[in-house]
Amino acid sequence: MEHSKTPFNVRMRRFYRVSLEGSINRLLVYLLFGILLVVAIYPLIWVFVNSFKTDIQLFDQSWALPKVWRYQNYQAAWNYGIARYILNSVIVTTISVVLVLGISMLAAYGLARFRFKGDTFLLFFILGGLMLAPEVSLIPLFRILSGLGLYNTYWAMILPNVAYGIPFTTFLIRSYMLGLPRDFEEAATIDGASIMGIFRHVVIPLCRPILASAALLEAMRVWNEFMFGLTFITSEKLKTIPVGLMAFSGALREQYTVIMAGIIISAVPMIVLFLATQRQFIRGLAAGGLRG
Amino acid sequence: MKTYRWKRWITPYLLIIPAVVIMLVFVYIPVVENIYYSLFCWSSIDPTLKYIGLDNYARILNDKIIPIALRNNVLYALISVAFQVFFALILAAILESRVIRPRWGSIFRSAFFLPSVLAVTVVGITWQLIYSPNSGLINQFLRAIGLGNLAHAWLGEESTAIFAVIGVSQWQWVGYCMILFIVAIQAIPEELYEAARIDGASAMQQFFNITIPMIRETILVLTTITVIGGFKVFDIVWVMTAGGPNNASNTLGGYLYRVGFRNDEMGYASALATLLFVITFALTFIQLRIGRTGKES
Repeated sequence: MEHSKTPFNVRMRRFYRVSLEGSINRLLVYLLFGILLVVAIYPLIWVFVNSFKTDIQLFDQSWALPKVWRYQNYQAAWNYGIARYILNSVIVTTISVVLVLGISMLAAYGLARFRFKGDTFLLFFILGGLMLAPEVSLIPLFRILSGLGLYNTYWAMILPNVAYGIPFTTFLIRSYMLGLPRDFEEAATIDGASIMGIFRHVVIPLCRPILASAALLEAMRVWNEFMFGLTFITSEKLKTIPVGLMAFSGALREQYTVIMAGIIISAVPMIVLFLATQRQFIRGLAAGGLRG
Repeated sequence: MKTYRWKRWITPYLLIIPAVVIMLVFVYIPVVENIYYSLFCWSSIDPTLKYIGLDNYARILNDKIIPIALRNNVLYALISVAFQVFFALILAAILESRVIRPRWGSIFRSAFFLPSVLAVTVVGITWQLIYSPNSGLINQFLRAIGLGNLAHAWLGEESTAIFAVIGVSQWQWVGYCMILFIVAIQAIPEELYEAARIDGASAMQQFFNITIPMIRETILVLTTITVIGGFKVFDIVWVMTAGGPNNASNTLGGYLYRVGFRNDEMGYASALATLLFVITFALTFIQLRIGRTGKES
């Protein structure tokens, strides 16, 4: 009712000024975001397109689409060792994620549902790992793993990865458990269920959403882990994708387009996983807030 | 009944023991051992420890590469804060405003986030190719628009190498930080904005008077994580330049790796790791202090 008192022409002028400003702003924002979109995505598209060319074509016209799509580059990359690296990454990632989730779930249950002597200390003991840079422990880890005879085995990657994965995953699951109502657990206790029975049949099913998110975040972290793989593995046969790709590109030096095919093969699993599971992914990030 | 009580008492310890043991062996003991090893001269070929006191630390003070590495770490931290905190926050605020249609908003979000899911080597080697002097995208682009004299061997020149590497890190992580900000902004109650709009607050005023104060904690934590990240950076530097040329792009992490696992001077590398530990620990401590005073006020 208020605005009906202002004369019609003033109202129209205001309307136009606001909407003109609004649309210029909107245009600028879309322009900025459009440019950023190109910056974010084009490097990968450039690699993808050029991975189908010959090296000569790459040097001549790296902007153009390939005249003939050479799938041979992919075959060459695959046979050159990428296949083996992928297998190793799958093995290391699977075992690490299973161990991190299993161990963290038990610890989170203990910390979220029991009061006991030293509980605060143990909570800080586990979460304190978030603050430590893996670089600091690199040299002693090298000695420990050598001493245990685990140097240059899958376990040399798995065990440090698990140790550095536990703090965040435990934190994530514990926070989620604290937010769950205790009614089901109490009912089960009255019905005479054992502690571990309740854990298996009540708590785990309720925690499924956060377990999915935690598994995804962990899988991505371990799949992309570089430093432990670089330091504790010498055998080509055991290298994971991130480390193997470096050896691969070093060995192929001048065959750029085959290297590009190798890059694309290595990137695809994570891109697909991310696009397929965005929602669980973001939920994990939201629940964890931040990680180091 | 007695056994039930006993069980109830012992259960939490049994649940937590696996996590504690693994973290003790592979996280805490190594950190302490690292300080011990830094007092000795030893290598992986000859692992017998020869005690030399604080000599390794004295060596740090006279090492000419240390100032270069620390300068690069500071650059890395500062530029990362500018992009991954300030710029990412602005992007997040715009994406959460009504300027961008939801359909496009979700496309932008996914696309900007995408680089952060890639392995560091995928990113590093991709950008090596993009930076490459002749066939690389950047120099080709500069030549195409007539700015060929600006073309550089980006990773091969001492003056540009570290900036080229830092730039790639921003490319990879801005979208990730943006998503963290978006999540924080979405948790702000919508009524606050409604009330502000009724009072006639502009979008800018809403940003400075509602958004920023409400996500203060996230900004603070993300800033410290980014700064700490700038001091412990290793992977991307190692993949792209291995610290070269002539140590111009070396960082503390990269230098420690080179000293330990290329030059095989494990004692000195341990001392460098201790320096890294002290720096990151101090930064974490400062963050905790600032965070606490913030809560009191």
